[in-house]
Amino acid sequence: MNRHWKHSLKPYLLILPALFLAGLFAYRPFVITLLNSLYTVSINGQRIAFVGLDNFRRLFVNESFQTSLSNTLRFTLYFVPVNVFICLSAALLSHREGKLATLNQICFFLPMAVGLSSAMMILKMIFNPFIGIVNQLLGISVEWFNNPNAAMALLVIAGVYLDIGIKFLLLHAALRNIPANLVEVATLEGANPLQLFKYLQLPLIAPTLVFVLATNIKDAMLISSPVLILTEGGPFRSTQTLVYQMYLEGFKSGNYAMGSAIATVVFFLTFLLLLALLQIERRRVYYQ
Amino acid sequence: MIILISLTTVLFAAGQREIKPDPVRTVTWWHPNSGLAGQATQAMVQAFNSTVGAEKNIRVEAVYQGKANDVLTKAKAILQSDSRRDLPDLAQLDGAAVLDIRDVDALIPMEDLALSDGYDLDAILEAARLSVTYKDKMIAMPFNSSTILLYYNKTAFDQGGIARAPRTLDELAVTAQALVQKDARGNVIRSGFANVPTTYELIAWLGQQNHLSYITDQENGHAGNPTRVLFHENGTMVNFLTKWKALYDTGALENLTSDRNGAFASGRTAMIVASTSNLTTILSMVGDRFEVGVANFPMVDEHATGGVNVGGGAIWAFDNGSGNRDAAWEFVKFASSGEQQLAWHIATGYFPIHRDTYSLPAFEEHIAKNPLFKVAIDQLMQSNPQLQGIWVPSAYQIYYAFQTGILKMLTENRSPEETSRALEAEINGYFAEYLRMQGQ
Amino acid sequence: MKSLKAILATILSLIIVFPIAYSLSASFFSWADFTAIPARLLPSQPTFENYIRAFRETNLEQFLLNSLITASLGMMLRMTISITAAYTFTFFNFKGRDILFILIVATMLLPSDTLLLANYTTIRALRLTDTYLGIISTSLLAPAHIFMLRQYFKTVSGEYREAAIIEGCSDTRFLTLLLIPISKAVVVTLAIHSFSTIFNDYLWPLLVTNKASMRTIQVGLTMLGFSENFDYGPQFAAITVLMTPVLVAFILMHKPIQESVSTRFTGR
Repeated sequence: MNRHWKHSLKPYLLILPALFLAGLFAYRPFVITLLNSLYTVSINGQRIAFVGLDNFRRLFVNESFQTSLSNTLRFTLYFVPVNVFICLSAALLSHREGKLATLNQICFFLPMAVGLSSAMMILKMIFNPFIGIVNQLLGISVEWFNNPNAAMALLVIAGVYLDIGIKFLLLHAALRNIPANLVEVATLEGANPLQLFKYLQLPLIAPTLVFVLATNIKDAMLISSPVLILTEGGPFRSTQTLVYQMYLEGFKSGNYAMGSAIATVVFFLTFLLLLALLQIERRRVYYQ
Repeated sequence: MIILISLTTVLFAAGQREIKPDPVRTVTWWHPNSGLAGQATQAMVQAFNSTVGAEKNIRVEAVYQGKANDVLTKAKAILQSDSRRDLPDLAQLDGAAVLDIRDVDALIPMEDLALSDGYDLDAILEAARLSVTYKDKMIAMPFNSSTILLYYNKTAFDQGGIARAPRTLDELAVTAQALVQKDARGNVIRSGFANVPTTYELIAWLGQQNHLSYITDQENGHAGNPTRVLFHENGTMVNFLTKWKALYDTGALENLTSDRNGAFASGRTAMIVASTSNLTTILSMVGDRFEVGVANFPMVDEHATGGVNVGGGAIWAFDNGSGNRDAAWEFVKFASSGEQQLAWHIATGYFPIHRDTYSLPAFEEHIAKNPLFKVAIDQLMQSNPQLQGIWVPSAYQIYYAFQTGILKMLTENRSPEETSRALEAEINGYFAEYLRMQGQ
Repeated sequence: MKSLKAILATILSLIIVFPIAYSLSASFFSWADFTAIPARLLPSQPTFENYIRAFRETNLEQFLLNSLITASLGMMLRMTISITAAYTFTFFNFKGRDILFILIVATMLLPSDTLLLANYTTIRALRLTDTYLGIISTSLLAPAHIFMLRQYFKTVSGEYREAAIIEGCSDTRFLTLLLIPISKAVVVTLAIHSFSTIFNDYLWPLLVTNKASMRTIQVGLTMLGFSENFDYGPQFAAITVLMTPVLVAFILMHKPIQESVSTRFTGR
């Protein structure tokens, strides 16, 4: 009797750490964040008074927040297609035989070895408008840190650089998993590379592509560390993103209520975008 | 088995804290000084440890904690988590830190330490002392003090036949226009003046008007929490913005927010305003490309005689339960003394804050050899010591509010009046948030 | 067509590799090289001074040690928790199994960046700031990994396990001696991913550590703080020191790395 009881308790014990962590670092903080966004919170983190949606009301008329929202959505809009395009191109272009192809492939996932702050600092130096190497090599004088559009572009470049390593690997593997005989048959039937891509490769790597898209959307909506290190929200708040503002308000100014409100908004927006993506996937993607 | 291993590693990780056994009294000093200033910091600490420190059995340990902001973030985190023993004995913080630090229980007002040692507070430059005075008490020791200067390309001036540096914004507009250089296709390759006003610069440009104007109530926050800005109702902002707009309309102004030192050193712009603490760096960067000149920070108009304020950082003392107050004070006394401030100044370009320094023969010698430094010092001596920096919440956001607001005025053709009012509304909003968080 | 692909691929790969190559070169720049106009590609007079300064003037070894310890520790704990959980969900039948599984995996939707403030307060309250545990705490749960592992374990027939249990093999032994070796590719991939996620984390360790001695390398690098005067040399030296072992490892192990990333878990 005792052994049976211990036996049936076992699975629960085994998953206890995971459940505990989920509760402590995911669900509980989530609830707290939601709560905090509905209260006035003191500088020490204590909830003082319930204010309902007042924080959100003040947030949405705050010009700085509107800027963050616009910047983050625009960044997502630019980053996701650009990143997918570059990573997919890298995977497709190096999808060949030979030593050169292998060399290409190595180059493409090498950025994964460069840590986040290392990469950001390298970029910060080489994109310096006056003494940086990029302007010099390309013969241009773009003000990467002073021109809002250039700064946004730089942020996209930074985002791509941070992501290309792992995304290339995933897409590369997805391509290689396409049965070779299918490719042979298609080629024999006279399909050119474009048709090959459109009708054979694309549908078959679609699940991976969806995964890539989903994580890209999530990463773009949440972007913060590159902003912190490269642009600090500048110039003129043109690269201030939602999570960066959350960091400023919540952590630097100690305004937990506003920080939590921003966090809540980010969460719901991202959730909606991902939901939309899943809807699209349901209708268009083929699974084996 | 796995669980056992995991448990042990978890316990090991949780226990990873620093332990420091100490016979000598160790004073920890957190600072943001890197590069040349970092080296000067090491030198100063070593000088103390081998003289006064050796005598009184005190050892100072200077810990670099990142930028000024980072030092504050660390200190704040500890203060909020209520674990005083983790506080350093001394921390070097800048103006943005004041609001978070000045009211905490753990803070030991520097004046208390000074007076209990019989120290004469008048020995400190009045402007510097007032810059860290709260409700009439000096709560920190000014340390890495600086003011702003106008840096100009003297070679370009000579080439353009410009005899002296501009004194007012009107003169600046004229001078800047004369210095603009374009290439064959009409693109500007050198602008006359490159700047987007920062909070620090606005403190001077607004505060200097009418010999002294306040930017916020509560004496710019030195008498209590500011509740609203005054720069709109006292007209100083509109006055400044009008001049600034006129400057922009000449086409000689470049709206550069970052890396102005680089732009100046590379010859991309002929004039910038920058801190005195940048002097050494700019000189090194420019090298022998051209001759660098410095001049007083431009006045908004002929009535703006307030001069400039003392900016930079100060050293704050904390009570962390280690009983090191006197030891910490010994070091602060040392660091702010005449000779040490001279050494500090020579190495970094920061202002000596102790009166004695200015009468040292070594100082006069140094100034004679480096006339550019003299400009900054004279400028401060001519300024109104009551002109002080602002102690406000959400400094970061306010900085961006100013920059964005001014940019909008210039590029979207808004009126100075409108811009000033918008800035008033936005910044008052931040003040209101802050007061709300205090439970008021 | 092949050669066009080759040319384009090579151009793109050169662009991607350029920042890495540049930082290697820049680590030997003198201050004058950094501030030179026009900007330089190669050092005028290569110097080792940056490396010397990076180690002498900062606590680089300590930062590196902290990162290595937290990443390794975190990886081991994370893998242990994930594998155990995935194993339990796959091979055991208990009440509420599916609900609990969804509960754990659903946390994928709660990005930890939005929970930073609340998590920081928790860590502070638990007095775990400036500890290794505090740094890795939020990275210990990997819902995506648990999901992937379960997907993979499901392909292993339950009959193997039953047979093993009948033969007297305990769960632990089954897991360690049979299941993990079979799933080596997956486990290795996820372990590497765990390691690099924790190693590369920036914002969280920044918030959670105050003491210089506890800083991780990602945070420590940005605090080498010489960029105000364009004194980038030591930073680049530090970056290169950090990058090189990983780069070399990647290049040498490129085959296993590429092959271990299978699409089994992302869908197809």
